[in-house]
Amino acid sequence: MINWIYLTVALPMIGFLINGLLGSKIKNEKVIGIIGSSAVGIPFLISVVALFELLALPNDQRVFNVPLFTWLSSGWLNVSFAYRVDQLSIVMALVVTGVGFIIHIYSIGYMHGDKGFWRFFAYLNLFIFAMMNLILADNFLLLFLGWEGVGLCSYLLIGFWYDRKFEKSTTSDAAKKAFIVNRIGDFGFLLGMFLIYITFNSLNFAEVFSRAAALSIPTYVFEFIAIFLFIGATGKSAQIPLFVWLPDAMAGPTPVSALIHAATMVTAGVYMVARCSIIFALAPSAMAVVAVIGLLTAVFAASIGLVQNDIKKVLAYSTVSQLGYMFLALGLGAFSAAIFHVMTHAFFKALLFLGAGSVIHGMHEEQDISRYGGLKKYMPTTYITFLLASIAIAGIPPFSGFFSKDEILWHAYINGGLFVWIIGVFTALLTAFYMFRLVSLTFEGKERFDHHSVHPHESPKVMTIPLIVLAILSVIGGFIGIPEVFSGTGGNLFSSWLEPVFKTANSKIHHFGLHSHFEEILLMALSVAGVVFSIWLARHIYIKNTRIADSVAAKFKGFYSLLRNKYFIDELYDSTVVNPIKKVSENLLYRINDVKIIDGAVNGTAALVDKLSALIRKFQTGAVQFYAVIMVFGIVVALFWILLSL
Amino acid sequence: MVINTIFNSFHLIGPEIAVALLLLAVVIFDLAFPKNKKFLPWLTITGIIVAGFLTVKQYSLESGFVFESGNTQGLIVIDNFAFFFKLLILGVSLLIILFSVSSEELKNCYDRAGEYYTLITGMILGMFFMVSTVDLITLYISIELVSFSSYVLAGFIKKSKRSSEAGLKYIIYGAVASGIMLFGISLVFGYTGTTNFYQINHIVVHSLSPDFLLSLAFILIFVGFGYKISAVPFHFWTPDVYEGAPTTITAYLSVASKAAGFALLIRFVKIIFFTGIDENGYWILSKAFNWSYLLIIISVLTMTVGNFAALWQNNVKRMLAYSSIAHAGYMLAALTMLSEQGLLAIVVYFVVYGLTNLGAFYIVLLIHNKTGSEEIDDYDGLGYQMPLMGVAMTILLVSLTGLPPTAGFIGKLYVFISILDAPHYTLAVIVALNSVVSLYYYVRIIKHLYLNNPKVEREFTFPVTQTILVLVLTIPVIILGLYFGPLLEMGKVSLRMFGF
Repeated sequence: MINWIYLTVALPMIGFLINGLLGSKIKNEKVIGIIGSSAVGIPFLISVVALFELLALPNDQRVFNVPLFTWLSSGWLNVSFAYRVDQLSIVMALVVTGVGFIIHIYSIGYMHGDKGFWRFFAYLNLFIFAMMNLILADNFLLLFLGWEGVGLCSYLLIGFWYDRKFEKSTTSDAAKKAFIVNRIGDFGFLLGMFLIYITFNSLNFAEVFSRAAALSIPTYVFEFIAIFLFIGATGKSAQIPLFVWLPDAMAGPTPVSALIHAATMVTAGVYMVARCSIIFALAPSAMAVVAVIGLLTAVFAASIGLVQNDIKKVLAYSTVSQLGYMFLALGLGAFSAAIFHVMTHAFFKALLFLGAGSVIHGMHEEQDISRYGGLKKYMPTTYITFLLASIAIAGIPPFSGFFSKDEILWHAYINGGLFVWIIGVFTALLTAFYMFRLVSLTFEGKERFDHHSVHPHESPKVMTIPLIVLAILSVIGGFIGIPEVFSGTGGNLFSSWLEPVFKTANSKIHHFGLHSHFEEILLMALSVAGVVFSIWLARHIYIKNTRIADSVAAKFKGFYSLLRNKYFIDELYDSTVVNPIKKVSENLLYRINDVKIIDGAVNGTAALVDKLSALIRKFQTGAVQFYAVIMVFGIVVALFWILLSL
Repeated sequence: MVINTIFNSFHLIGPEIAVALLLLAVVIFDLAFPKNKKFLPWLTITGIIVAGFLTVKQYSLESGFVFESGNTQGLIVIDNFAFFFKLLILGVSLLIILFSVSSEELKNCYDRAGEYYTLITGMILGMFFMVSTVDLITLYISIELVSFSSYVLAGFIKKSKRSSEAGLKYIIYGAVASGIMLFGISLVFGYTGTTNFYQINHIVVHSLSPDFLLSLAFILIFVGFGYKISAVPFHFWTPDVYEGAPTTITAYLSVASKAAGFALLIRFVKIIFFTGIDENGYWILSKAFNWSYLLIIISVLTMTVGNFAALWQNNVKRMLAYSSIAHAGYMLAALTMLSEQGLLAIVVYFVVYGLTNLGAFYIVLLIHNKTGSEEIDDYDGLGYQMPLMGVAMTILLVSLTGLPPTAGFIGKLYVFISILDAPHYTLAVIVALNSVVSLYYYVRIIKHLYLNNPKVEREFTFPVTQTILVLVLTIPVIILGLYFGPLLEMGKVSLRMFGF
């Protein structure tokens, strides 16, 4: 089945073509939904079979290259449509197709009755196509194709409801913002790719990585490549300073937020850095930058999440924050921990978004949590699954989030030191707090909505069953990565599975000292205790004693408004970057360069051509005698030329 | 002895004999059944297919001279280069006859259909000799054979003033050009004492510097070629004749006789001046005459005049006439490189240009059948009234411009490759700028087809056969734009000329 892996790319494309070209004719939502879902479901089954085929092999032989055809070939450059199946890509493929399939099913219910139903499924399939290319690519250019493709789909889907208002503007503005901010990152990625090509004369992963490990290339080259690639990652994975697009991306339909802006696309940056682990391992300063940016983003976004009132915004900042964790792990050299967190995060964050979608669906498109309350009796399945996901993200053992987050925190301690660990744990406390603030305000306490106009109801089965499946995964998904301290001699299954992929990188990174299991358990206990306290605090404030929140907000008015306004980052970017660019392009580029210089040159050339044309046409008099004269004249000129050149 | 030689050569000129017999057959058939002209085109097509079959059979033959005896070397040669152009000419002729069947214009001269097909067959015969001649005498006679047939064909519609004017202008201009060429030929004969290309080559090879008399002679001979391929400043007949002649004949002149003219020019230059070929495929030519400069100047003039004059033409046929001048300029630009790459570019370009230009002319003809006009203003809104023709015309015009994903792009691409390989950047820039200019007038037609509102609301329907013919011409334009490997392979094979 590994040799058929290209089907996981081809089928979504076929689904996209069928739904995209014929969707408006099919009209039947069920047919469209089934086509769209099976275009992702079958690739999932293929990936599962491929996984088992890999499992049957010894650990160091689990790398396959499935070439399809040569794409470009010119000089040194030789790029193929070839897919690389190894431990890392198969994990990502399973997450993307698995979670993707569940979300497709959910969308059949969520998008029911939408006039763009077929368009939605076409875009989703196109997204899966691009994402699978990104994941399975065996070279940078094909990865970049997927990278841009997912960006395009993200743009199309954020602005899916292009006729709706979003906050102060429209969904199209949000889509444009996402696209433009991503372009900045993509530019960095391109530069990185160019630099890789000049340094290694290849864009093929296997060649680049083996040359990177073998050749003696100065460190600063690696630093540059790594930083450029990381700029690309900050765009796609919403890290400081390019995270601003992700909260606005919530303008898209909720399944899109779950699939693209939580579970899969935003983790592309993490995947890419992990894929290039060798390059990053050889660039210590870049690694430090990655870690610092990740840590800052984690704590920064979590703090914004504390005070947001839009259910999807809270989850969006939570995603940014969790992605920060993943980059922290990458920066500390804990590549497999990062990928582990990508996986568990895909489960519980997709579940949280789908749960939020279910709530929004049941509350007639209301997204403000201050107008929710006491919903658990109306939508029990949504409540329970949402609660499980919140516990998982908060990091309570033995839920999946605990294992992955704990692994990152442990690496933070051993590779980064106590200070990094403290900030990491602090972020975990914030996470637990805002999540349970969300749960409390939504599902518990007083009902704050208008009973006359709003009649909350549970969502249909086609939406709740995906919730249940994801809830099960969120609960047990962490067991494949139980740390050595608990599992004993077997070690961490997940990290030993990925170990061959990161072996070279790990050998280049210095790991500090040895730490006892006692330390590990102590730190774990401390963080869990903190999280439990944080949960209790959130429930206490937002269920029992709501006045506390107001009085705290009043007391720290300045800080509160800073958080409410997301540290004024959007405003900062507007005044320092966006507006100056707009002014320059309006006054200089448009008024002078475009209108005067370019248009002037173009129109001037056209006028000149016109004149010349008129002149040439004058010679065509219609009189044959004149024609013959010109002919002879031509001969005479030629003869003169010969005489002169003799 | 002589009879023996001729007899031995017979198997080599099978196709030519077939065409000659076809000519006689058409005449006899026309005389025998004066009432029934319906079968004439099909008779001609059958003859063309037979000739095509005989030509294809020659592919496996050893290349060789025909009519060789004693110390006079042969008059015509059989080689891959001639083989390619013969097939091209036959293919174009076949399509032209199919076009003629659906032309309303020619229905007015139905009683003279016999004449029409006889003359076309005569042109085929002439062009066959043009592409394979290696002797100045056969060169001249074959050009005249083609010219005389085309003079009559251009003025074929006697009742149309424009057509008669075209025929008359054509014959006057042609007579002057061929007189000048004949003078050149006689000078060469007087200088070298032979009319055979290879023997002239033996003499010319030894020249180490330009020779005034020879140069004069070659310039005068070039006038004849220039007139056939409508190179500036010998192009003046083209717009007038193309506009006045029946559309089928315009299409025929613009592709087939231009191809034959190019084949003759290339063979003339390569064989007579050849001294060697370097490892990159560049010809090392005798210093007796500097072809490169002459051709560069002529090619730049040709494409520029063609494109600029086409800009504001309101008659589509006239515009396509200028455009065909410009295309000749592009091909000349490839020839100026005097290299195998340049030759390959010309061969590829001819296939592409032939298909596209014939398609465009055919649609012009079909539109003329329906509306009776070739004025661009009468094309307003036709894209909606005849959707298939509109789309096909758009594709063909895009291909003429040379934009991907059409075949025209591949043709231009190889022209550019040959120029940049040299490298000759100035010329490449000029070609590119000219393409930009050409975009304007091609797109202008598309604009009239789609963006202007039609003056009259009407619907057009076309017979299935005509629709199929349009598709047969349009679909390959797209396919060759995406998949051109075989075209290149065929082109590379066709470069081999006798004697190299």
